[in-house]
Amino acid sequence: MRQAAARRAPHAASWRAWLLLMPMVAWLVLFVVVPTTILFVYSFCERDELGRVVFSFTWENYTRVFDPIYLRIFARSIGYAALTTIICIVAGFPVAFGIGRARAAWRDRLLLLVMVPFWTSFLIRTYAWITILKEEGLLNAVLRALPFGPGPVDFLYTPTAVVIGLVYAYLPFMILPIYGSVEKIDGALLEAAHDLGAGPWRVFTAVIFPLTRPGLAAGTLLVFVPSIAMFAITDLMGGARVPLIGNVIQNQFLQARDWPFGAALGVVFLALFATTYWALLRFRDRGEARG
Amino acid sequence: MKSSHLLVLLLALGVGAGARAAELNLFGWSEYVPQTVIDGFTKETGIKVNFETFSSNEELIAKLVAGGGRYDLVQPSDYAAEVMIRQKLLAPLDRAKLPNLKNLDSAFTNRPHDPAGGFTVPYLSGSVGIVINTEKVTVPIRGYRDVFQPRFKDRLVVLNDSREIVTWALYTLGLPINTLTPESLARARPIVADWVKLVKVFDSDSPKTALLNGDVDLGVVWSGEAAILWNQNKKFHFVIPAEGAHQFIDVLAIPAGAKNPAAAHQFINYLLRPEVSQLISTAFPYTNPNAAARALLSPEALANPASYPKTGKLETFRDIGKMAAAIDRLVTDLKSAR
Repeated sequence: MRQAAARRAPHAASWRAWLLLMPMVAWLVLFVVVPTTILFVYSFCERDELGRVVFSFTWENYTRVFDPIYLRIFARSIGYAALTTIICIVAGFPVAFGIGRARAAWRDRLLLLVMVPFWTSFLIRTYAWITILKEEGLLNAVLRALPFGPGPVDFLYTPTAVVIGLVYAYLPFMILPIYGSVEKIDGALLEAAHDLGAGPWRVFTAVIFPLTRPGLAAGTLLVFVPSIAMFAITDLMGGARVPLIGNVIQNQFLQARDWPFGAALGVVFLALFATTYWALLRFRDRGEARG
Repeated sequence: MKSSHLLVLLLALGVGAGARAAELNLFGWSEYVPQTVIDGFTKETGIKVNFETFSSNEELIAKLVAGGGRYDLVQPSDYAAEVMIRQKLLAPLDRAKLPNLKNLDSAFTNRPHDPAGGFTVPYLSGSVGIVINTEKVTVPIRGYRDVFQPRFKDRLVVLNDSREIVTWALYTLGLPINTLTPESLARARPIVADWVKLVKVFDSDSPKTALLNGDVDLGVVWSGEAAILWNQNKKFHFVIPAEGAHQFIDVLAIPAGAKNPAAAHQFINYLLRPEVSQLISTAFPYTNPNAAARALLSPEALANPASYPKTGKLETFRDIGKMAAAIDRLVTDLKSAR
C-alpha cells in the first residue's frame, strides 16, 4: 500500500507543480521566447528605406558584426565590464564578508544601507554623480579647498567617470550574493582551520574562497552582464565619446533605423552571455564539488 | 504593414480601443508643446488631448510604421515629413478648415519637403549653430573651422547626431549636404576623424548642460538650446557658422490612418492663432514661423540672436535614404577609433 502511494505521489505532484508553474511559463514564453525568436528572425532580414524589416534572407548583418570596427567595440565593452566586475569584487568582498560575520542585530542594518540607493531612481542617482564630478562640482570644490590641492581635474566625461558610474550602479549586485554565501559559512570551519595552524591567508584561500564561489559566480554574472550592455551611463557620464556595444545597439534601433543589424548584434551578444553563464556555472560547480 | 504581424499584434495588446469622437491623439516632440496650450484647447472645445512624446524623427517613423493609425496628429521635421509623404503615411490637409494658415510667414511654407503645402503646416523652426562662452573664449569664432581647433580640445560639446557632424564637415569642404556620394563621404572622413578627437561631450538631448556646468566653452547645438543659454546668461553668444548651417522646420501633419482628422484640423488651426503660437515660442524659444505671432513677442525675445539670427546661409535637410546608414557607420567607426 505504502509503496503504491509513494509511486503515485511524484506523478500527482508534477501535475500540480506544472499548474503552479503556468504563470511563470507563460511569462517566459511571452517575454523571453517570443521576443528572442523575433530577434533571431530579424537578424537575417533586410531593411527598407523607412527602416521597416523586409523578410528576405541575408547573412550581411552578421558579416557586418564581425567587421573590425564592431569587434573592437565588443572587445572594449568586455574590457569595461571586466574592469567593473573586478573592482566590484575587490570592493564588495570585504564588505560582504564584514556584514556576513557581523552580529545578527547589526547585519540587517548594514544590509539596509547597501540597499538604500535603490529607493531612488537610477537616473537621478546618475545625475547626482554628474553634480559631484563636473568641473565646477563638489569633488573639484574639495580639491580646491585643500592647501596644496591640484587645479580643477577632469572627472566627468572621461572613461574613469564611466567606470565610477558602472561600479556605483552594480556594486550592490556583487555584495548581496557574496553576503548570501558568507552568511552560510559555518564559523566552526574557520575555527577548525585556525586550530589546525592555518594562517589568515591559508584560511581565506582554502576555506572561505571555495565556500563563497557560488556567491562570487552569481555576483559576477549580475554585474558583468548588465554592465556590458549599459548605454545610459556611457552617454550621461562618458559624454558619449567612446561607443560601447550598448550604445551601438540602441543607435541601430532609434537613430540608424537598422533593426536587422541591431538584432544581429543582439544575437551575438546573447551568445556571449550564454558562454559567460556556462563558464560561471562550471566555476561554481567546481567550487561546490570541492566544498 | 508587411513587416512583422507578430510585433503589430503585440503592440496592439497595449493600444486599447482607439480614439473616440471627443479625443485627439497627439504624438509630438518632448519639451516642445506647452501643457497650457493643450489645456486651453480642451477647455474651449471639450476635446480631450492625449499627448505622447518622442525624441527623434526615427522614433516617430518607427512607431507610425508599426503602430498604424492610432495617432491623429504628428510633429515630424521637414525631411522626415518628406519621406512620410512619399511613403503615403500622411493624409492630405483640408486647407479650407485652416483659415489661420494666413498667419504664417511665407519664408517657411511651400518648402521642398512639401512644395504644395498639401500635407504639412510649420510649427517651429530652428537651426544648428555655434554657442560661445565669451568669458572663456576671447578669439573670434565664425565657423566650424574656428571651433574645431586643437586649442579647444576637450572644451567642446556637439550634438550626438551622425548626420549633423558629417554635414558640418561637408560645409567646410564646400560640398552639397543633401546629395551625398561615397566620394563626398570619403572626403569628409578625415575631417570628422580630426574633429571627434577634440570633442568632450556628444549630447543631443540637453547640450546646454555641459556649457552651463562649465565643463566646456564652445558648442555646436540646436538654436533653441542656445536661446535658453542666452536668456540665462548673456555671456553665451550664438553664431550661425559662416560656411552654412542646417535649418530645420518642424511641422504638424495628420497620419493617413487618423481616426479623428476633424479634431486634428481644429487643433492645427488653434495652434496657428497668434496668441497661442506666441505662448509656444515663449516657452520654447525657437524661431516662430507665424508672422502674426511674432508681432506679439517681446522686443527681448525678438532680440535673442539664437531665435532670430540676423544673417546666415541656412539650408534644410532632404531625405538621403540609405546613405544615412553609411553616415552612422562612419561616425561610429571614427568615434571608436579614438
